[in-house]
Amino acid sequence: MNPILTFLVVLIGFYGLSTSDNIIKSVFSVTIIESGVILLFLNLGNFQGGSIPILSEDLVSIVDPLPQALMITTIVIGSTVTALSLMLCIKIFHHYGSVKWKEVLARKDVKS
Amino acid sequence: MNNSIRFLRQFVLIALLGTIFVAFTMSMNELQTLYNDFGQQYFFEEGLSDTGSRNLVTAILLDYRLFDSLFEAGILLIAVSGVIWISKHDIEEKNARFMIDKYKTPDLFITFSRLVYPLMLTFGFYVIVNGHLSPGGGFQGGTIVATAILILYYIDPNKETNIGLIVTVEKIIYLLIIVVASISLVTRGTFFTNFFDPSHDADTMAIYLVILNVLIGFKVALGLWTIFTAFLKEGR
Amino acid sequence: MNQLAVVLVFLPVIVSIVIYLSKWRHMNIVAIASQLALTIVAVVYFTHFYGDFESTHIVLGGWDSRIGISLANDELSMSFIFLSLFSWWMVLIYTFRFGHTEHSFLFFLIFLQGVFLGLLQSNDLFNVFVFLELATIIVTILIAYNKKGESFRSALYYLIVNVPAMLVFLTGIILVYFTFGSINIVALTEQFQDVDDTIILRFSYVLMMAGISVKAALFPVFTWLPKAHGVAQSAISALLSGLIVKAGVYLFFRMNFLYEGAGFAYSDFFFMVGVLTAISGVMFALSQKELKQILAFHTISQVGIIMMGVSSADSDMFYGGILHTFNHALFKSLLFLGAGVIIQVYRTKKVGEIRGVFKTMPVVSIFMIVGMLSITGAPFFNGFISKSIIKYGLAEQGWRYWALYVINIGTATSFIKMSQIFFGPKTLSYPLKNMAQNVAMMALAFGCVLLGNFYIPFSEGFFGIRVEEFDLTSFDVLLDYGITVAIGLVFYFTVIARDLKPVRMIRESRISFENANLVFLIYIVALTTYFVFLS
Repeated sequence: MNPILTFLVVLIGFYGLSTSDNIIKSVFSVTIIESGVILLFLNLGNFQGGSIPILSEDLVSIVDPLPQALMITTIVIGSTVTALSLMLCIKIFHHYGSVKWKEVLARKDVKS
Repeated sequence: MNNSIRFLRQFVLIALLGTIFVAFTMSMNELQTLYNDFGQQYFFEEGLSDTGSRNLVTAILLDYRLFDSLFEAGILLIAVSGVIWISKHDIEEKNARFMIDKYKTPDLFITFSRLVYPLMLTFGFYVIVNGHLSPGGGFQGGTIVATAILILYYIDPNKETNIGLIVTVEKIIYLLIIVVASISLVTRGTFFTNFFDPSHDADTMAIYLVILNVLIGFKVALGLWTIFTAFLKEGR
Repeated sequence: MNQLAVVLVFLPVIVSIVIYLSKWRHMNIVAIASQLALTIVAVVYFTHFYGDFESTHIVLGGWDSRIGISLANDELSMSFIFLSLFSWWMVLIYTFRFGHTEHSFLFFLIFLQGVFLGLLQSNDLFNVFVFLELATIIVTILIAYNKKGESFRSALYYLIVNVPAMLVFLTGIILVYFTFGSINIVALTEQFQDVDDTIILRFSYVLMMAGISVKAALFPVFTWLPKAHGVAQSAISALLSGLIVKAGVYLFFRMNFLYEGAGFAYSDFFFMVGVLTAISGVMFALSQKELKQILAFHTISQVGIIMMGVSSADSDMFYGGILHTFNHALFKSLLFLGAGVIIQVYRTKKVGEIRGVFKTMPVVSIFMIVGMLSITGAPFFNGFISKSIIKYGLAEQGWRYWALYVINIGTATSFIKMSQIFFGPKTLSYPLKNMAQNVAMMALAFGCVLLGNFYIPFSEGFFGIRVEEFDLTSFDVLLDYGITVAIGLVFYFTVIARDLKPVRMIRESRISFENANLVFLIYIVALTTYFVFLS
């Protein structure tokens, strides 16, 4: 896949963030942006081609292993962010009875 | 009126994204000539002798950039405590009841889950232990093990989980990871690397990698298990 | 010896986990003890390397510095380390009683300290990203700690606005990695000395700056800050406003040092951003009615002033900006802590409903007044020094000088409004029982006055800049401040106190979530246009 195409995934995520009023959808948009960034990094690591970065006797060239290692970190970060924000979504829904940013942000604080 | 504003907004949005896209495409065109593969070559030539790991991704995660990985595990640690804290008032009671309705889960699925569960668990451990030889490692294998544990909830919806105990064990394992990672201060005079120096052969150095992979694998599995349980309890 | 840098990061982390696991009732004592140990380590480290910060550079694991992660310190990071240690001292003392029961609160708080110290010392771009994300997640949890509806929504807003910005920052790192083969800041700084001016370099700069700007709450991407800082507990607000926002400013310095060799002309652009940030912060602060909201918007305006200073290539103004970072940390923490005590006693956040604070709690009032004098830039208080340095730097530059002047008048007006809470008869009785809170505020107030009068040894010791040349104690200066306050008074009684229609309109104007993201995209495009297309 082309790095330029993967950057489109990032932009789709931003499109989602700036058009959707739904909290859950915005959480997913963030996830899409993140997937796009991960794909972009992995793609660029494969820029010159090569086999998987596990050494054996008859290897000529490998793809860059650093992006893969960094992207594991990013995936872990992403999953924790998603978990935390979904948990906050549940709580917001319990408190305000809505998952629309417009309604949630406009509401005066209710008693918990 | 309102419609035209919305149309204009859409137009502006597309134009903005388009501009960013153009700038990115321009920089990608330059990358054809500028591409720098210093890191790639370095890892290809030195990776095995430096770290004793054939899987270079594991070599980077557990040796070259161990400091990052420690905080990567730390993020999970924080997220576990955070999710538990945020959902706390439901979790006060030790035993949770779950939203998975036994009667709506197909029998076929439950039966297959029983069949797949030991396989998944074994595969998870395999991925963890062989992280330095084949694709995988602590983080990946830990996720597989966590998934396997989660299947248990389909098999037995009334399963009870003592979250407090899991969290305690998870935190202690994290402390152990830090300790294992710091042993190199005594043996090699620097923090966060293999405690055998590169003059040993790859099999000896792999001892450290296996220990650390197993610890990280357990930590990740327990952490994800806790997060998932917290969500199940919230969904009642 | 230089391995102590790692201890600075991991001591708080380990202690926080021990606190989380322990069931002992007096864990706050352990927290204070670990803070003491940490301070001692930092002091030993600093005195050992003072004057020779080159040798603090360590690569963890002993690899080639282009491959491994390295930690390094210099004057700037050391001074930030001491600032954060001081801030955490204050917060730990302030929440000393609260810490008895709330082990998980202490856990998040102290873990955050380890992360923040790591962020300051880290010399690896991806490592910086990891620390920033970790700090974002912990701050989210700390904002949501009260578990009210309001805090949940602010926490989620904070998270959802900040994480995409961090991912944009990461995209910038990706471009740098594939162009230079390394993400180590020291190695990159050397490579950047004789770098070709390419689009990919400029675009990576744009992406990093866009991410950092959200963290530093610059115009127009500051919408998350008042929500988050107005809602969190007062101690947390103090920490966020005083220090965590400065993570963005700190990275702004770091990245601009990194790209120095490339020689981008960033000064004009970020000066404009700083002016707009400061003016919009002051404007919103003037219209607000809640105590903590006013303070939160003033954080934005003060960050704007800092940016006006540090965006300059003129070294005096640059150090003025850095000094203002420190001074702002002191007086804004003080104001937030004081506001916390007042809100606790009066049980309301509305400025209009709080009256007679001076009679009710004279001690807290005096501390608050010190903070207010500092933030408005009164002579003999610390805010005055840094503001004056920036002002002297701008003296010959026409509209830029007057922009700062207008911002000062706005700040004065806003705090004249806030000082209304002191007047009036005694309505409540407030026994001076929580000594810890008063001790924390006293230390901060003392710091404000001390820095305001003995700024010369401080700024020379840390940054090696000479500030004697500015005559900061003459009669003109007092007159200047008097005029500012007088205009502020007039402005207050004619416009703000009557709550005219424009003020109400500003207060009620709201930007929806989608539009906030659209604005972020506009900001990225503006940066791209300025740095990539127009160069």
